[in-house]
Amino acid sequence: MSERKVTFTREQIAAYAEASGDRNPIHLDDDFARSVGLPGLIAHGMLQMGIAATVAAEAAGGPDRLRRVFVRFAGMVVPGDTVTFRAEPAGEGKLELSAVNQKGESVLTKAIAESQP
Amino acid sequence: MAAVAGRTYPAVKFEIEPGAVAAFADAIGADPADGIPPTFAAVYSLGVTVPQLFGDDEAAVDFAKLLHAEQEFEWHRHPRVGETVISTGRVASDTSRRGMRFVNFETDTTDANSAPLCRSRALFVIRS
Repeated sequence: MSERKVTFTREQIAAYAEASGDRNPIHLDDDFARSVGLPGLIAHGMLQMGIAATVAAEAAGGPDRLRRVFVRFAGMVVPGDTVTFRAEPAGEGKLELSAVNQKGESVLTKAIAESQP
Repeated sequence: MAAVAGRTYPAVKFEIEPGAVAAFADAIGADPADGIPPTFAAVYSLGVTVPQLFGDDEAAVDFAKLLHAEQEFEWHRHPRVGETVISTGRVASDTSRRGMRFVNFETDTTDANSAPLCRSRALFVIRS
């Protein structure tokens, strides 16, 4: 099993916005995020998926071995949240992924990865 | 709202530059020495094509009401740093129920010889 605990920060979310090119203001601007009904700026779902896939790659023996990754974005992640990402073997070439916040809520569900056998 | 199922957008070329890969790896906490993080596909596949959907007036996707609900990447082969890849996005389905619109946006990415690299499938839910 591979595991990583990440406490999200505004800096990391801003760095992901730059690196990914996804500069949607809901990830960068608290006031804008509130104006569309969010509690404040939120992390990119794709940042969560990026970390989950990194943990999956570790469990699979390297990023090149990953053949498929699927996630459902089930919960918001805000700065200060601590999320535990895990990848656990679930049969030949399959990994079950999870991402659970400090309140015990899953922020990614149905998350799986498949790797080269 | 207009349903635009089946719509395909023009192919987009993208060069995978080492600096962009390293910045992406840093941002997700991956070791840049491990090469291209798998979800860099968010940039070279989904990222280069999804602006075509969002910028399509006929598709009329309201960005402010948009939720990225699911994402899948499938790889035949992971690209290499320095490689130029070509991505084509299409609306695989576009349906509405109970006041919500569900758009499946698929992107096929190939190498310069048209050999498949990656398929991205994004599900967007748009509140009305």
